Amino acid sequence: MEHTFAVSIGGAAGQGVATPGNIFARIFARRGLHLNAYNAYQSIIRGGHTFLTIRTGPERVNSFGDRIDLLIPLNQDTMDRHLGLLGPGAAVVYNGDTVKPGAPADGVQLCPLPVSQLTKNSRNKVEQNTLAVGAGLSMMGIGFQPLAEVLTHQFKKKGEAVVAENIEVARSAYDYASSHFQPFARPLPMTDSRKAVLTGNMALAMGGAAAGVKFYCAYPMSPSTGVLHWMATHARKAGIMVRQVEDEIGVVNMAIGAAHAGVRAMCATSGGGFALMTEGLGMAAMIETPVVVIDVQRAGPSTGVPTKTEQGDLWQMLGAGHGDYPRIIVAPTSVLDCFKVIPEIHNLADRFQCPGIVLTDLLLSEGTSSVDSADLDFDVEIDRGDLITSASSNGTNGYKRYLFTESGVSPRAIPGVPGHNHTVATDEHMEDGVLISDEFTNPIKRRAMMEKRQRKTAGIEAAVAPPALIGPADADVTLIGWGSTAGVIEEAREILTEEGITANQLQIRWIVPLHGDAIVEILKRSHRTILIENNYSGQFARYLRSETSFVPDGYIRKYDGEPFMPHHIVDAVREQLAGQITMSVPMHEITV
Amino acid sequence: MSTTVPPPPKKVNRIGLEVLNYKGSKTTLCAGCGHNSISERIVECFYELGVEPWTIAKFSGIGCSSKSPAYFLGRSHGFNGVHGRMPAIATGALLANRTLLGVGVTGDGDTASIGIGQFIHMVRRNMPLIYVIENNGVYGLTKGQFSATADLGSTLKTGTVNDLPPFDCCALALRWGATFVARSFSGDKKQLQAIIKTAIAHNGLSVIDVISPCVTFNDHQGSTKSYSYMKEHESMLHELDFVPYYEDIAVEIPEGEVREVEMHDGSHLRIRKLHRDYDPTNRLAAATLLEEADARGEVLTGVLYVNTSKPTFLEQLDLVDQPIATLPESKTRPSRAVLDQVMEELR
Repeated sequence: MEHTFAVSIGGAAGQGVATPGNIFARIFARRGLHLNAYNAYQSIIRGGHTFLTIRTGPERVNSFGDRIDLLIPLNQDTMDRHLGLLGPGAAVVYNGDTVKPGAPADGVQLCPLPVSQLTKNSRNKVEQNTLAVGAGLSMMGIGFQPLAEVLTHQFKKKGEAVVAENIEVARSAYDYASSHFQPFARPLPMTDSRKAVLTGNMALAMGGAAAGVKFYCAYPMSPSTGVLHWMATHARKAGIMVRQVEDEIGVVNMAIGAAHAGVRAMCATSGGGFALMTEGLGMAAMIETPVVVIDVQRAGPSTGVPTKTEQGDLWQMLGAGHGDYPRIIVAPTSVLDCFKVIPEIHNLADRFQCPGIVLTDLLLSEGTSSVDSADLDFDVEIDRGDLITSASSNGTNGYKRYLFTESGVSPRAIPGVPGHNHTVATDEHMEDGVLISDEFTNPIKRRAMMEKRQRKTAGIEAAVAPPALIGPADADVTLIGWGSTAGVIEEAREILTEEGITANQLQIRWIVPLHGDAIVEILKRSHRTILIENNYSGQFARYLRSETSFVPDGYIRKYDGEPFMPHHIVDAVREQLAGQITMSVPMHEITV
Repeated sequence: MSTTVPPPPKKVNRIGLEVLNYKGSKTTLCAGCGHNSISERIVECFYELGVEPWTIAKFSGIGCSSKSPAYFLGRSHGFNGVHGRMPAIATGALLANRTLLGVGVTGDGDTASIGIGQFIHMVRRNMPLIYVIENNGVYGLTKGQFSATADLGSTLKTGTVNDLPPFDCCALALRWGATFVARSFSGDKKQLQAIIKTAIAHNGLSVIDVISPCVTFNDHQGSTKSYSYMKEHESMLHELDFVPYYEDIAVEIPEGEVREVEMHDGSHLRIRKLHRDYDPTNRLAAATLLEEADARGEVLTGVLYVNTSKPTFLEQLDLVDQPIATLPESKTRPSRAVLDQVMEELR
């Protein structure tokens, strides 16, 4: 990434970190710049410490990076915690009336704003936030007009007076900064392709709309609630039925009930809620009803750290529900991929009539990213599979819901279709749906039905492309990751290459089907392999080993609740290549 | 010249279907099980009212009661869910297709023990669904443990005494929003028929708690859900007659003796008073009556409550009339205008 610029805003929850963050993000995106943002926060409504980093640049920005260029501490606590992270060329813009700077490193510019003077002693405490935005943009070399436009957009719901007041305040800080502070060495560039800015959760919900999801229900649970918010906000105009349900047991059963009646149904939760859903997931598998469940992982076990990220639910997904049954699990690799993956997994779940699981995490779901608007393609193919929604005859025609077929997939009639009435049962059943679990128990029929369901796994595997190696075929090291770590690993590879270490990357997106043979084929050509994941025990490493017997040369893991930053990976790879260690657990230096 | 006796004309209902079309497979429940009687009533009611079998969707959970949908309405759709989760499954399916006539059959374990949360939330939604609780106070398939409707002090065959008070599913349904609440006894053919037919005519959630003795595990001395206990303790609120909408209602009714309730589809429930005058549209009176009967050790049966005016969950939701799965492809995704608006929000 040629030229990136990162601004970090910190303060207590309730101090208004989000608004300046949104303003920066919108200005960057309208300037045609890419961005990537991560908010570190706590499970508290007021207080605590919230630290938002937005990194922008003309090329795709894969992570929130390692370096802060502009720090905006809204309180003393933020200044104390983060000033030490700033290096030469960086600046800190703060309320000079209330915040004391401490001792910065050489080359760090201190930019105190005389807040009470600039706001004419306004009692409105969040005006200091608008001031900081105005000053910061001035130092980045961005004209005032874009800020005025975004402020108008941001505050228009609160009325013209609020808009005018904010513009006036921003202007005063903008002018003050122009005359009192040094601008940054490189002004922010512009491109002519305006970007769309969204979170992973929004992308998942919008992917649902693109997939033709007509039924969405959920129980609120961080960090998955953003999907429910988007759905609830857009339900009416998008023509999607959205319900908040009493608990996750109700959620998954209601979604399955709706899916059974033929609509595309989806729900999202986090690990704890997913645990409650596993019973229903097994039911969907047994009655062969497609349903898509999104698990947004947070740090566990149990309530864990609700506002922190982890890749710790993999084995819960692999083992969800008792008994053996085919399932599909996908871990999207970027915010844009969150959008793309939803229609894909709905098509597969419909075609193979089994549950589909989307495994994201807080980093991806609550992370914000820019995408090229054209990449959000709502006209993707919708493949409902072998679905019968109407028939003319009303006689008994011998329709068999669980007809034995070579593919294992039987034509699925929805309830109410004349001539296609049948029973679906969570008990084991015969082709026509009649139970074999009580007096008719029959090992031969049980075996045949088990094999019919499991035959679908071959079809699923054939329908999904195997993973491919990214980067040079011949490299010093192959970095293996899965899901949300794609961006940070890619950036780490770029830095390593600059340092003279060539690295390629195998990023796993489809967890099930895994395509183990293809993976081994790739990895056996690697000089050295290092598996990177955001958990303690190496859940993916264990899965890979169980499926392929492949054991990588080294591991990089992190389980402190925060995501990887590029330098964590770079340092660990360097260390491991020097031959000292095979397991690295990087420290997270930013204490939030 | 030979004469052949023509076969007697087959008996059919008003839509030309024989009763066979409403029957299910042979029951595998114990001989004498109350559930079998309830299955027979369901067959009769749907046959007699001439409901098209393929428009009915049966939902059940797990347990003896939840197996019983296999024994009635064999030409209707069936969904045997998991234990205690039928309310959510039925809600999802009926939201997706409001043209289906939902019939839920469940037990006291399924509803009052493992599924009490789902039950209460379903009640709160007033989802149009006929919800029949086959209540015998014990778990049969696991060989006779108490459920949460077993009465305080009642005993198991082993002599074990139940040390907790029961949930009264009618009281819960009444309090939290069901719009048709009735209790009956599997042995009372006429009353149960009238109640089920009224539920079919009702637009809203019908909760029907049917005391249905378990002959194997809960029909002994010390049980409060046995045939003999019901014989001694049942107290009928009233006599019920159901007059379907397609039948002439102009029959002489003795003044002051009979109350009529007009149902959603134009059918009438005719309530003839027995010992006391009782207005089933008065929810508070129903609650009081249940408490008083409880204190006297009586099992009140009849229609406890009916409300034909409260909007249902479906009516609150502004849903399309057709099954959502049959919407044309052009309507499965948001319109271009909506998508443009969505994209504008992101810039």
